[in-house]
Amino acid sequence: MGACLRALRAILLLAGFYLLALVILGALVGIDIAVWTRGVHLASIKLTVVLALLGFPILRGVFTFGTGGGDTVPGLPVTEAGQPELWRTVRGLAEQSGTRAPDEILLTGEVNAAVAEDARLLGLVPGRRRLFLGVPLLAGLTEPQLHSVIAHELGHYGNSDTRLAGITRRGRDCVGRTVEAFKEREEQRIGKERSRQEQAAAKALRKGRRPRRISTKNAGLGYRLMARPFQVYARFYLRATSSVGRQQELAADLIAAKVAGRDATASALRRTAVLDAVQDFYLNSYATMGVSAGLLPPRGEVFGGLRHLLADPRRRMNLAELHTTLPPAEATPYDSHPPVAERVRLIEALPDDGRTADGARPALALLRDTERVLAEVESAVLTPEALALERVTWQELVHRAMYAQAQEAAQPLRSALAAAGMAVDTAPADSAPAELAALLDAADAGQLWLVADRLPKSPEAARATGRAAREFLRPALEAGDAAAGPAGPGGAPRRPLAAVLVRPGPPDAAREQRLAGPGRPGGSPGGSGTGGHRRHPGHHPPAHPSRALTRPPRNRPDHRRPLYP
Amino acid sequence: MTAVIPFTILVLMLIFWLRNKRRAARAATLAVRAGADLLPPERQRTDRAFADPSTEAVLTAAAQGDWQPAARALAMAGTDWERRSHLVDALAGQAAKEDSWLRAWQAACPEDPAAAVVHAAAKVSLAWEIRGSARAAGTTREQFAGFHRLLGEARQDFARAQALAPPDDPTPYIAQIPLHKGLGAPHEAMRQLWAEVTARAPYHYAAHRSALQYWCAKWRGSAELAQDFAARAAAVAPPGSLLTMLPIISWFEHNSDAPDKAYGWPEMRTLTETALRDLAAADPGHPGLAEARHLLAYCLTRQGSHAAALEQFRQVDGFVGALPWHYYTDPAKVFCAYRERALRGALIAQHAN
Repeated sequence: MGACLRALRAILLLAGFYLLALVILGALVGIDIAVWTRGVHLASIKLTVVLALLGFPILRGVFTFGTGGGDTVPGLPVTEAGQPELWRTVRGLAEQSGTRAPDEILLTGEVNAAVAEDARLLGLVPGRRRLFLGVPLLAGLTEPQLHSVIAHELGHYGNSDTRLAGITRRGRDCVGRTVEAFKEREEQRIGKERSRQEQAAAKALRKGRRPRRISTKNAGLGYRLMARPFQVYARFYLRATSSVGRQQELAADLIAAKVAGRDATASALRRTAVLDAVQDFYLNSYATMGVSAGLLPPRGEVFGGLRHLLADPRRRMNLAELHTTLPPAEATPYDSHPPVAERVRLIEALPDDGRTADGARPALALLRDTERVLAEVESAVLTPEALALERVTWQELVHRAMYAQAQEAAQPLRSALAAAGMAVDTAPADSAPAELAALLDAADAGQLWLVADRLPKSPEAARATGRAAREFLRPALEAGDAAAGPAGPGGAPRRPLAAVLVRPGPPDAAREQRLAGPGRPGGSPGGSGTGGHRRHPGHHPPAHPSRALTRPPRNRPDHRRPLYP
Repeated sequence: MTAVIPFTILVLMLIFWLRNKRRAARAATLAVRAGADLLPPERQRTDRAFADPSTEAVLTAAAQGDWQPAARALAMAGTDWERRSHLVDALAGQAAKEDSWLRAWQAACPEDPAAAVVHAAAKVSLAWEIRGSARAAGTTREQFAGFHRLLGEARQDFARAQALAPPDDPTPYIAQIPLHKGLGAPHEAMRQLWAEVTARAPYHYAAHRSALQYWCAKWRGSAELAQDFAARAAAVAPPGSLLTMLPIISWFEHNSDAPDKAYGWPEMRTLTETALRDLAAADPGHPGLAEARHLLAYCLTRQGSHAAALEQFRQVDGFVGALPWHYYTDPAKVFCAYRERALRGALIAQHAN
């Protein structure tokens, strides 16, 4: 089957989805009319409400969701007047890719570039086009590599051979969204039902009865029933069109290679995969290290700091290693993307076009007024809470964040020492050495368990008495562990008992020796993780720091996400 | 004329209603009088299934640090394996709370097989105490960590206890069954252990009771495996061994939400009648007898055999630390509620005749 035929089939299938929605809506309206013609009852009013509730997600999914992708990912819009080089580049790339240029360019804080279009009517009618460009991507790619990425994204819309496939792609988006809408509603229902049953169970327990097991099997049943035909159809549709999707990715890769060069395209693919991991690491270990202490790096550095990390000579060596290994493929029948390794292999098999990817300047150079733009992206992307945090220099951030963490981590042990009557709970600056001495004395006297007994405990450990209570203390004692406390869900990393009492020096005196400034080896975020810069073992950054900081995206126009889970 | 018929019906209904009401009122006063010797919930002991003064004395001495009564009681039990298991269980429970006496015992008699098996069994009790009795979802990581650490230690303790014990003593094997349950031992390992047990004590009630838990769906088996195990044991058991209770326990474990009606089905009636005969034939000093009475009392009440149920209730009143009551948050309250139901039912039946 040729590409054109396959795309045609995809359109027919999409129309079937539309038809399914109409049939179901028609059935709902039909039932309602049939009831009303028999006379007005309270029951018929009730039924109308129920039917309307059931029909609403379909209407939303089919008719309005097709226009989705409006204000999806928060980003900083840049004007042609403000960034003429960037716009010129994008326009040029659009022309070479054979499609129209985007109407808007937005800078985001993600390692991603995407083109989204507010297409209407299941994607059959084109709409306003937006290009989302992640600042970290600009920081990590060279100019030709960025060209390749943008050309790939635009290529999805422009390749005349696969024009029909472009419709497929929008259709896949719409189908995915409709099913999502059903799932969202269903989860809301299940959540409500669960909390209701939990209350009932607690009541039963108070009355001394055996509580019923909580089951949400029947919750959201109406929506599930309603969603079932769509889910089945969507699964069928996504499976049937995934070959078109994959083929189209490869076609877009070819366009990118044609526009930006073979080597730049291959290296951009490798590089993006690595950048994803590096950005995660950077946000976890550096950008958000001070959040719990109420601190952020200087304006522009939250996303711009990645530059320093990438520029560090020792980091560069690590990164070079990462480049050679590509992430393993996630094999799902719905993923529209072929595995990255496969794409790279195909691109590298193209004939050499003589263009080299080396020696080009970083893509960030495309931006005018880089520092100001980086700062503005933060204002557009970060949550109001994050924006309200205090901004300090990198040196100060590291020092104060670590100090706050050490303080916080030492607090349970200090309180335990005080509660055991072994030390006076006073200001930390004066008592640390005395407390350490008291702790070591307790260890010598075999009385450490008295301290361990006063460390924070889980409710279960606190309830235990006699031998069981001692068994609960044992892990903390044997590990010589202060921060054990109630073990966190992930099994909290532990630190030696004494380490948490050592104060990291007075705030101003030794700082300059301990902490080098950014740019200097070992001092910037590019530091290799020695000395004071290493992420403190007891530090638990949020699992998704970027999500904790940035405004949550809605329906992100990131087609790398599988449409259907 | 036509008005007479409905009027008569109405009058008759009123008469029957009044009679029933008077009967109920009389039954209530009778119940109070008949139940005068029964204890209220606050006087029910939740830690024991029956009055056991000799074991009680041994435990009190142990709590005060004296291990010698424990050693003497175990020596006196001799080859009464039911009694020995019962004592080891009780002592292990005590040692799980506080074990200074056990350490003193082991220091005095390092090679004592009885001390060794109590030590090993206590590890398992302690592990369960740390784990708590909630389902896996309600158990924290910390609890599981402690549980598995102690069970790992217990495995070695059992190996030692088995090496020290006389070759015909099943106790260290029986006490190891809960360890298999906790560690999730494969069926093959359980069958090997079971062969060791039955080679030494083929009709041991506590052993069967413990192994049945392993075969239950909530542990390592299924409703079918448990039922199969119970039926086989009950089929070959000599009268008085109490093994006829196993099918009832298995059924109860897998049908906790069964309605009263289900207890009246012929299969269930046969099971309870067989069990009642078995109980009558049992040695009155059998340590498992009380628990059998507790569960039978429950089943008979729900079956509507109130008089028979009441008879069992009277023999164990004052102690509620047994199946099925300890599955409830307030065992004493539930026990008394069922006992009351049996009492009233029995009185109504008596007066109806």
